[in-house]
Amino acid sequence: MTPVGNVMILASAGSGKTYALTNRFVRLLACGVPPERIVALTFTRKAAGEFFDEILNKLAGAASDPERAARLAREIDAPGLGCPGFLGMLRAVTAAMHRLNLGTFDGFFARLVRNFPLELGLAGDFEILDGAAVAIERARVMRRIFAGTGGLTEAQRAFIEAFKRATFGAEEKRMGFHIDRFLDQYQEVFLAGPDPLCWGHAERIWPEGCAWLEGAGNRAGAARSLRAALAGETPTDGQRRRWEDFFAVLEEWTPGGPLPAPVAYILQNAFKVWSDLKTGSAGLTVDRRRQLLGPDACRALVAVVGAIVGAEFRRRLEMTRGIHAVLQAHDAFYHEFVRRAGRLTFADVQRLLLPAAGGPRLGAGGKPREDQGADPRLFIDFRLDACFEHWLLDEFQDTSFGQWSVLQNLIDEAVQDPSGRRSFFYVGDVKQAIFTWREGDPRLFREIFEHYNSGAAGAIREERLDRSFRSGPAIIETVNRVFGAGEVLRRMFPAAVANGWGREWRDHASAHPEIVGQAALLHADDEAGRFARTLDVLREVRPLERGLTCAVLVRTNDAGARLADYLRREGGLAAVAEADLHVCTDNPVGTALLALFKAAAHPGDAFAWEHLRMSALGTAVEAEGLASPDGLTLRLLGGLHTDGFEQTVEFWLRRMEPDFETGDAFSRQRGAQFAAAARMFDATGSRDVDEFIRSMESFTERAAESASVVRVMTVHKAKGLGFDMVILPDLEGSRLDQRRDGLAVEKAADRSVKWVIDLPPKLFHDADEVLSAHVRREEAESCYEQLSLLYVAMTRARRAMYLVVEPPGTSASNNFPRLLTAALGEKALAVPVGRLALPGSFSTGVPGWHLGAGSALRPQRIEAAIKRVETGGVRRRMRLPARRPSDTKTGRVSGAELFSPACRQAADFGAAVHALFASVEWWIPADAAAWMVAQRRAGADEAALSEVLGCLNDPLLAPLFTRPPEQADVWRERPFEGVLDGMWITGVFDRVVVERDDAGENSKRITVVDFKSDRVEGPDEILRATERHAGQLGLYRRAAALLAGVSLARVDCQIVFTACHRAAPLPPCA
Amino acid sequence: MPLRLQLLPWDRPLLPQAVELLAQDWSGEGPLDLSALLVVVSTRQSGRRLREGLAARAAERSQAVFPPVVVMPEGLVARCGPETGAASRLESLLAWARVLQEIDPGEFQEVFPADPPSRTFAWAVRLAGRFAALKTALGEAGLRLADVAPRAGDGFEEAPRWRQIAGLERRYTEKLAASGRADAQDLAMASVDAPRPPAGIRRIVVLSVPDPMPAAIRVLEAHARTLPVEVVVHGPPGGEELFDAWGRPGEEAWAARELDLAGFEQHVHLCADPSAQAERAVDCARAYGDSDGMLAVGVADSDVLPFLEDGLARGGFATFVPEGRPFRQEALFALLEALAAVARERSFAAAASLARCPDVLVFLADAAGPAASPARMLAGLDELHRIHMPATLRSAGPHLAGLAGRFPGLPEAVARLAGIETALAEGAFPENVTGVLAAIFGGRRLDLARPGDARLAETAEAWRDLLRQIAAAGPLAAGLATNDWWELVLPLLGEERRFGEKPPGAMELQGWLELPWEDAPHLVVAGLNDGRVPDAVVGDPFLPESLREKLGLKTNAARFARDACLLQALAACRAQGGRLDLLFGKTSAAGDPLRPSRLLLRCPDTELPERVAFLFRPAGATRATLAWHRAWPLRPREKAPPRQISVTAFRDYLECPFRFYLSRVLGMRAVDAAKTELDALDFGDLCHGALEAMGREPSLRDCTDAGTLRGFLLAELDRIVGARFGRELALPLVVQIESARQRLARAAEVQARERAEGWVIERAEWRFPDVPARMLGGLAVRGKIDRIDRHEGTGAWRVLDYKTSDAAATPRDAHCRRARRNRAGENVPEAACFDIDGAGHVWIDLQLPLYLWALGQEDAAGRPGEGVTCGYFNLPKAVGETGVSVWTGYSAGLHAAAMRCAAAIAEAIGAGRFWPPAERMDHDDFAALFHHGTADSVAAESVRLWEGRP
Ligand code: SF4
Repeated sequence: MTPVGNVMILASAGSGKTYALTNRFVRLLACGVPPERIVALTFTRKAAGEFFDEILNKLAGAASDPERAARLAREIDAPGLGCPGFLGMLRAVTAAMHRLNLGTFDGFFARLVRNFPLELGLAGDFEILDGAAVAIERARVMRRIFAGTGGLTEAQRAFIEAFKRATFGAEEKRMGFHIDRFLDQYQEVFLAGPDPLCWGHAERIWPEGCAWLEGAGNRAGAARSLRAALAGETPTDGQRRRWEDFFAVLEEWTPGGPLPAPVAYILQNAFKVWSDLKTGSAGLTVDRRRQLLGPDACRALVAVVGAIVGAEFRRRLEMTRGIHAVLQAHDAFYHEFVRRAGRLTFADVQRLLLPAAGGPRLGAGGKPREDQGADPRLFIDFRLDACFEHWLLDEFQDTSFGQWSVLQNLIDEAVQDPSGRRSFFYVGDVKQAIFTWREGDPRLFREIFEHYNSGAAGAIREERLDRSFRSGPAIIETVNRVFGAGEVLRRMFPAAVANGWGREWRDHASAHPEIVGQAALLHADDEAGRFARTLDVLREVRPLERGLTCAVLVRTNDAGARLADYLRREGGLAAVAEADLHVCTDNPVGTALLALFKAAAHPGDAFAWEHLRMSALGTAVEAEGLASPDGLTLRLLGGLHTDGFEQTVEFWLRRMEPDFETGDAFSRQRGAQFAAAARMFDATGSRDVDEFIRSMESFTERAAESASVVRVMTVHKAKGLGFDMVILPDLEGSRLDQRRDGLAVEKAADRSVKWVIDLPPKLFHDADEVLSAHVRREEAESCYEQLSLLYVAMTRARRAMYLVVEPPGTSASNNFPRLLTAALGEKALAVPVGRLALPGSFSTGVPGWHLGAGSALRPQRIEAAIKRVETGGVRRRMRLPARRPSDTKTGRVSGAELFSPACRQAADFGAAVHALFASVEWWIPADAAAWMVAQRRAGADEAALSEVLGCLNDPLLAPLFTRPPEQADVWRERPFEGVLDGMWITGVFDRVVVERDDAGENSKRITVVDFKSDRVEGPDEILRATERHAGQLGLYRRAAALLAGVSLARVDCQIVFTACHRAAPLPPCA
Repeated sequence: MPLRLQLLPWDRPLLPQAVELLAQDWSGEGPLDLSALLVVVSTRQSGRRLREGLAARAAERSQAVFPPVVVMPEGLVARCGPETGAASRLESLLAWARVLQEIDPGEFQEVFPADPPSRTFAWAVRLAGRFAALKTALGEAGLRLADVAPRAGDGFEEAPRWRQIAGLERRYTEKLAASGRADAQDLAMASVDAPRPPAGIRRIVVLSVPDPMPAAIRVLEAHARTLPVEVVVHGPPGGEELFDAWGRPGEEAWAARELDLAGFEQHVHLCADPSAQAERAVDCARAYGDSDGMLAVGVADSDVLPFLEDGLARGGFATFVPEGRPFRQEALFALLEALAAVARERSFAAAASLARCPDVLVFLADAAGPAASPARMLAGLDELHRIHMPATLRSAGPHLAGLAGRFPGLPEAVARLAGIETALAEGAFPENVTGVLAAIFGGRRLDLARPGDARLAETAEAWRDLLRQIAAAGPLAAGLATNDWWELVLPLLGEERRFGEKPPGAMELQGWLELPWEDAPHLVVAGLNDGRVPDAVVGDPFLPESLREKLGLKTNAARFARDACLLQALAACRAQGGRLDLLFGKTSAAGDPLRPSRLLLRCPDTELPERVAFLFRPAGATRATLAWHRAWPLRPREKAPPRQISVTAFRDYLECPFRFYLSRVLGMRAVDAAKTELDALDFGDLCHGALEAMGREPSLRDCTDAGTLRGFLLAELDRIVGARFGRELALPLVVQIESARQRLARAAEVQARERAEGWVIERAEWRFPDVPARMLGGLAVRGKIDRIDRHEGTGAWRVLDYKTSDAAATPRDAHCRRARRNRAGENVPEAACFDIDGAGHVWIDLQLPLYLWALGQEDAAGRPGEGVTCGYFNLPKAVGETGVSVWTGYSAGLHAAAMRCAAAIAEAIGAGRFWPPAERMDHDDFAALFHHGTADSVAAESVRLWEGRP
């Protein structure tokens, strides 16, 4: 077998990426690699689970079927291998299941951190926070930042300053809202580049200097000069008005704020003739006419524009620094209270592992000590009982630079291992890089390849997979026409994008030319039309009835929800929007439950109360007698503090459910989902109603996947999936090359943050080379990603695909519809789809493709039923209800006693008293002194000692402790078990005296003594206490009779109140 | 004495055989006296089942039992220690924490290669827990931390680290010794090889304990020198060689052994997730109904437990969890946490959370007398927060008197809260907490017969136990701050478990290790996933598997052997006439993929591929996706329409008549509990207040000096802020008030200019007089005009309204908009539609027209002439845009249209017409009420209530 080597696979959509990956795994096994030495990482937990299942099923197939064995052997280049060989591997993999390293990047990193807490500066174990938990933590942190306890602290003052700078010129009255927004948008940027020097520092952005900033001086002065210079000119009335407006609003304008239209107008036109203005003579368009400006006016206008732009830039820089200061201040609090308390997000975990200067790096193993000074390493082999030799990385185009940085050292060791015993394998498709907004970094793909190969030619082998095992020829043809249309792409998109795409592009081929299908471009007028067209196609094809899987792919969850709703409502189709559903608030049951909690925790909330009253839950509340605020508040808060939210929710659900219509399984399901969400909240330990409500409001659940419905989902979610038929009715939208809003973040080649600026509006940034270059780069990246999105969308279908667009007409936007019509056809046609003829402009394949498709639904496996074991003839034992006689003291305790340390002392004292009595078999007054000495030596409590001694010496109690003339036994502190009245009784006798007849055989008389050290005085109290203990003693009496084999009548029962040395007999039983 | 291994055949359940074995010498005459017997069992529940079995056995002969002494292996070891001098858990943690805080991390670089960020007590205590756990783990094998490096042998990579850990341990031991204590485990360990003979015991039986800890075996070995020790295993007939002398399943024998699970595919069930597992188990329970003793349910994965409990509860079954529940889930724990938060933060928010603990709530409300209402008290706290936003309780003080009228008892309750806060912050721990708790619960009498009270008493007992440990901790605890105490004590209480008693007839949900003692004919085990059964340690920061092996700690191989043996026993004893069903999940509740137990793959090689295909198939969909369905339509109350209406209400009606009804008639207003800053209304009030004062101030009437005006406005603002919010402002308020200052400062300039241009403020804050009422469509209209100006030169009048919205508004845009193309879909009242130059428009507000109308009814003396203009005095966020914005082009025609609309609305309101509602709102405050259509959300028969009187 040839050595496995390092391999990069560029795998186009549907070309069997997972197949290649699992084959690689099997191949490594075939080379004798122990399975636990292979690390295979992917992004989602679902993918990781499926990956493992697939390996096992592949091996199981090859182990039981010679033909499959032969095929697999061929594929993995291990010709000698047959069923027995694969069976051996199957055994090996299953036996090592608990030690395998197949999973997600996140999970793998969390495991590493767990094993090096102290090395990474953590105090101990940590928990992973999900989105909702982060929101709660953030709110708590905010509360801490905001909370004042008399005057502002230094830190708070600084925070206010920072905030004011961040929102400069547009003072903000909603502080919490804005900080939230900053955190949502910029926290990750901050954490990636916390260095304040990166944020809003001109030297970083314009190392060569920025001319605009130099001109930022005196705006008003420049304006005056301009006015003076223009006074000599003789413009038209319209032009004069334009200039007057310009000067008037310029005065009011504050940098950072919106630029008033009259100013923007002049600026725009000035930029158009900027070079002329600089030479001192220019024809400026004002009010649709050219106004000739002389040298003075030109100079003055250049100065004014310079002053405006300069002021804007300065302000933006300052705001950027302010934003940084806000983020930094917040992070300091957050770090102190959340991360340091062991609550981390996956991103935090990954950051901990990043090799920072002086920080630790991961190392696979070897000699830990020597080089530690220079380069601290975490050697993972020992702690993880693992030795990682082979790396398999999936979906590499979505890998972030951070993830790669964490693994880089380990993979370096593998790639550069001279023995070739270790290897690196990565697979992905840069054409499907649609997660750059989640830090996916498709450039890595090539960079890594070139990096290793520049060190040693051929270190990594490149392979390409362009044959689609998923799609039939109609789909593939259409895909090739759109994405191979170099000329169209060049015409529509920036050269960098078109060329970049062209470099990666290879025409696809279908591995299944026999598949009959259709691909078509259909037209519609507006959203309603696109939805209707979608329904037309679905009604014609009727995919579900034919056993075809079908997806409708959209771009946003909102569109998905609307469309699914439409299909169900108008089309009566089983359509499901596979979005994250707000299951706690998208229905009346959930919102009424939330109103219930609000009404209880905030009884003054009239909204919640009325909501409750007008809902069916209100009726249930009334039926429980809780219609008054006091009733509800006490009951609900009491209940949830004792039993948690989930049980409270369950209680009310059970009250409500009878009111649901019989067929209303939906509401029942939502109720169960609400309860499940409440259970998760309970796990946080919080009993805070407001946190609960917030958490329920933001709780989402993914709708279940199911083959027997029309699945409506976003393209992002469809990545990695395939369907028999796909409809794409949501391809409208603006230009493809739009950068995402927000801060401009420039990164260096090593992805470190170079600079950050709160980007000024387009008019301004266009005027600056550095900023406009940055924006162009971002636009190109965005454009590439949009193309990737379309590529992913168009490669999901196996047999048929229907693209539904609004014909682009004259609109100038370079959007999807424009690209599709340009590449596929613009001429209006009647496109046949089955028996329909729909307006469109392109079709390929067989319009009646579906007619032949049978109703060959894959047979569903019937799950084995759990059968009942028939009761007859089976030996079974009834379980006895248990009773501890000591529980029968159903006493009352005062709240004051409950927490008093004295109370505990009473219990200790009681225990001491019992122990002392237990040490006495028979009391011989003469031995008292010796007994006392012995007890004192054993550390007996003085008070207890004197109390017990008092009892022992009390003549009234003497008979209980004095040896009787007959033969007698004493049971002291003796446990017993028995069954009485069908109940299992467990207890401990304090003291039982068993007198026997002369022969020592049969018991004559029994005395059960129970010591009570309660502070009981006087006959009344003794009587009451005796009554209270009667239940317990009654059982003791019966147990004693049973154990000693005498009739009840011969059992005497005495309660000894040790405080007052009194014995009270228990009245004989009835 | 010789050790004896005895095998109970696993074709019958363990429990009856074990009972028989222990009772074998009993004649049936007299009690079954086993008091000279020590029985070692593996879990608490096993001991319980055994004792129950013995009691039942004796009862067959109408006898009772003197039970044997039943211990678990840990107990056996713990008994070796002396009775006094052992450190409590609290003391151990304290000692560790103190050591960790005192050391110079530089000296322990092998343990702390990275400098810990800041060595707070919280950090130390968390780490202390870690070291304590490590010590416990090593204690299983009778080892101390210091033993690791020497035992691990040569070439042990982490030896330097462990030597330093040993150094920490030494300091820890010294720290304890300094206060007369020693580590409990160390003490026990000292005599495991020579334990005190157990008093009165004549025989020891180790009863089916598959993995006794090595230290326990050492104790048993020592006892075996003087007492007979029997080891009993449950295994295949004649399979003694599968176990070692101590009854541990042999690792090699069990690793290779094929497990016999007959009818595999009928008895092993793949379920999508925990809830699917629970569902299957519940279905099974339903099939048996209440035929007791037939079915038992085991839970190998604690993830599934809550689902199972819920499912069974919903099916009407009572359940009992033998492994108990942590006190963390108790109400008292939540109360203690709230107290800790108050002590830590001293903020109003923390105090308000504390007030919502039910016990505290009752205590606080009680302050105002026995008839006081807790709910009103809470509402009062919310109102206090809404209006005054106090940062602390102290700063709430001055506002209480003003609220006392509406919320009787509020001042007293807040005083109590403040008392708690002061006591906690200023007293010494734990006396301060004890005092507070005594105060809170002082007035209560608990009835232990009530489950809630009994639970409280139990938790309180655990708390008192901790107090005792604190009291005993002496010098170790010296100087610990209250907040540090909380950090230490709360987790200790939280992790403690409450066992409770099994309610009669309850179904026990037993853990995996408890199942061998279960003898029900049908057993369903959920959660049979790898990592649970067998459990496995993969990677550990201190004790990875390779090191465990070297140290003789429990290994994964040993766990595998134990669980293989247990599983086989569960199946074998039900092979005849019983049934074993095993459920495993495809994913966890959190969505992580799970794998079936490796034990399920212990089959002949020939069957393996088929098994793999069976076990690793995809799970079916969790649940059907159901079409959205409305559980119920809403039935809002009917309430008579109002007799009067405020000017600002017209806007609401125009937006949506039905929402108008809900908010303005039914008074639906929400409490914003999360409010941390001023809302738009508060903010506007602040600015209005200052501006109105300016308008009223005669000395400023002719003032054209911006500086003077600014000075006045800002002073006025300060006064208003001081009166409403006090001196201690929460941070967002500081920023917002700053913003108000900026806006007012700019407004001063604008005002100076306006005055210079001739505009004089004639009236400020002019309320529509009630008499004569401004009547419209049968309703009295009320309003308040911010200011009415008169031009001293021209005599012209103008009406102005102050606006503090973020962006400057023009009056016209704020009052009407273009009608949408498709008017039908708008759902706006016909009267709201009008045309301007042939273009359809819709009123969205009528404020300024109504002001002019109200003013137009003024009597002759003050009556403004025809040319009254109106507009806004804008104070927007961009202060550059501050200024007067007059409604240019406001014509008589427009006015007439506006008043037609106003009259129609007033008439509609008076007639109780609030239907149909608007369907699409930009921002809907009522989103919680309406799902899938506003009108559709309301009960059809209720609708006529709002269609108006004819
Ligand atoms: S006397 Fe005993 S039972 Fe009663 S409150 Fe005190 S400790 Fe608890």
